[in-house]
Amino acid sequence: MVTHIKCYNPRMHVVLLRVALGLYSIGFLHAVLTALNKKHTFFRPALWSVIAGFACHVASIILRAIEVRYLPLTQRYEAFSFFAALATLGFLIVYRKYRIAPLSVFAFPLIFIMTFIANLFYDPSRSIPPILRSNWIYIHTPLVFLGYAALFIAFSAGILYLLQERELKSKRPTRFHNRLPSLEVCDDLAYKSLAIGFPLITLGIISGALWAQSIWGAWAGDLKVLLSFFTWFVYLLLIHYRLIAGWRGRKAAYLAIVGFIGVLVTFLGANYFGGLHTFNQ
Amino acid sequence: MQLAIVGLSHKTAPVEIRERLAFNNDALRSALTSLVEKSEVKEAMILSTCNRLEVVAESSDDRLIREFLCEYRRIPHEHLVKHLYSYRNVEAIRHVFRVTSSLDSMMVGEPQILGQVKEAYRIATDAGTVGMHLSALMSRAFAVAKKVRSETGISQSAVSISYAAVELARKIFGELSGKTVMIIGASKMGELAAKHLKRAGISSVLVTNRTFERAVELARVFEGAAVPFDRFMDHIDRADIVISSTGAPHFIINKPQAEQIIHRRKNKPIFFIDIAVPRDIDPSVNQIDNAFLYDIDDLQQVIDANLKERMKEAHRAEEIIDSEVQAFLLKMQSREVVPTIVQLKDALEKLRRDEIERNRRHLKDLTPEQQTAIDQITQALVNKILHHPIAQLKQMAHDPQGPELVELIRKIFNIKAQ
Repeated sequence: MVTHIKCYNPRMHVVLLRVALGLYSIGFLHAVLTALNKKHTFFRPALWSVIAGFACHVASIILRAIEVRYLPLTQRYEAFSFFAALATLGFLIVYRKYRIAPLSVFAFPLIFIMTFIANLFYDPSRSIPPILRSNWIYIHTPLVFLGYAALFIAFSAGILYLLQERELKSKRPTRFHNRLPSLEVCDDLAYKSLAIGFPLITLGIISGALWAQSIWGAWAGDLKVLLSFFTWFVYLLLIHYRLIAGWRGRKAAYLAIVGFIGVLVTFLGANYFGGLHTFNQ
Repeated sequence: MQLAIVGLSHKTAPVEIRERLAFNNDALRSALTSLVEKSEVKEAMILSTCNRLEVVAESSDDRLIREFLCEYRRIPHEHLVKHLYSYRNVEAIRHVFRVTSSLDSMMVGEPQILGQVKEAYRIATDAGTVGMHLSALMSRAFAVAKKVRSETGISQSAVSISYAAVELARKIFGELSGKTVMIIGASKMGELAAKHLKRAGISSVLVTNRTFERAVELARVFEGAAVPFDRFMDHIDRADIVISSTGAPHFIINKPQAEQIIHRRKNKPIFFIDIAVPRDIDPSVNQIDNAFLYDIDDLQQVIDANLKERMKEAHRAEEIIDSEVQAFLLKMQSREVVPTIVQLKDALEKLRRDEIERNRRHLKDLTPEQQTAIDQITQALVNKILHHPIAQLKQMAHDPQGPELVELIRKIFNIKAQ
């Protein structure tokens, strides 16, 4: 098995990730030009290069997993890469179902930036902190990350909703507006992705708590844990208002945006402040 | 290829002239047949719509087509001629491309014209008056129209009140199937907007009107339900779209009422279209979350913005057409130049052989070497004579004046068409 692994160039996954980054950059360029021109600019080529990038990206993650013989999620490099891949997957699934091209304006930059950060943080050491060597990692991290990807879609749908709503209320349609999905589709997408994302992060948090319990017999006072509680609470409010108070549209979109800012602060902030979730031990 | 177009359109002729010239389908067939009986007209098709009448022909003589139109429709020459335009060759190609792509339409970008041109082409094909030139031209024109449509936005946005309403409804609700529209006040305008919405997929229609009989009548047209006017507020929350066009002198829906409607709808969005003057719905209703209100001026504003966008797109379409015209011209000319060169060579070679054959009696005393020399000399002479005409022909493939020059060379050397 070991000799078999050595057939690979040990850095092949890095090369693949860079290729993915290069391909994603076309998507990024598309997003920037679209935002500037207010009209869809070479969406098709951008979509295809993102798909090609995604294939390289998945291959990169698999190679890394084979190399470290573990879920490649313990390093910062790996975490960002994984998150970017999930965001791409989320976008592709949603695009397939809803055909909302303008979603790319949000998704492509996020994918590009996350992959870029992943590339920056590459650390050749393969050591895995013993504390993270636990089967819980296979449950906790994918749950949380899948949840994040779904909530990112909810966030983007919220922004699309607000853009479309502003245009409709202002009564001065622009050209970009013609390509935006309808309010109902935005709201539906936001709601569905919330309905998927919220249980995922809930289970993610519970599994994290259980993991901490199994090690320290108590919850760790990690900053990320606190932040994610806050974020979780925002989403809980959103679910509550949607189900009980019948909120839709604008107010729901605002909360989805606040919630995702919470996710970003949690994810990036924890890296900054240190703690167990820094992905860089 | 000698293309000629003679015609008139809404830009050059008033409706009184246009209606006198219009052809129905049977008339088209017989007109086409008698047109190609003239030896100068090799191929022809006639496009007849309410806004234009055009004869597209493979012919070097557009005067003839003009006279044909006057005679055929029995309109005095002097009455008709000032309304007619004619285009030849490059200009004719451009004109066909522009018409088919809806750039020459009264409403630029309107989609019907492509179908009308296709129909005209089909009729001409059935009548047997289309040959290789027109078929090459028209199939390219259809491809260009498709390209213009997909690469520019000239036929994308709504430019009438009812279409603007449908389009806005789509932006709010996406799919319109399963949605309900309520018509308050049975005006023509409201009816038209409802008709468009119904065609766009709206599932049910509610009608209310001060005279209930009229509401019932209209409800029957739309296969919907009539609601008494004094109780329409009880039913309005079922409607996703409300079209209001009563003659009421004051608002019939104010802000608190609209808020209540939204509440009863559990915040589901509602689209108010107020096409009444004076207005039926308080403009501040638009400030309520999930309520969208457009009055007649707002709709007009949307249309104006769309029209402006169309003009910009039409400019881009013209650029596409420019390059398509050049490409088509080049293709057609090189298609004509090559056979001309071959025929030219064959004709002179035949001349040379005939001459040698005729003088064989005088040549029989010559040695075989001398006979070969004569053969070579005459061959060289033919090649020298042809050198410049052929070089010119090859260049003409790139020249807009090409068709005329090709024709001229054919005349000089007396080469008949195959």
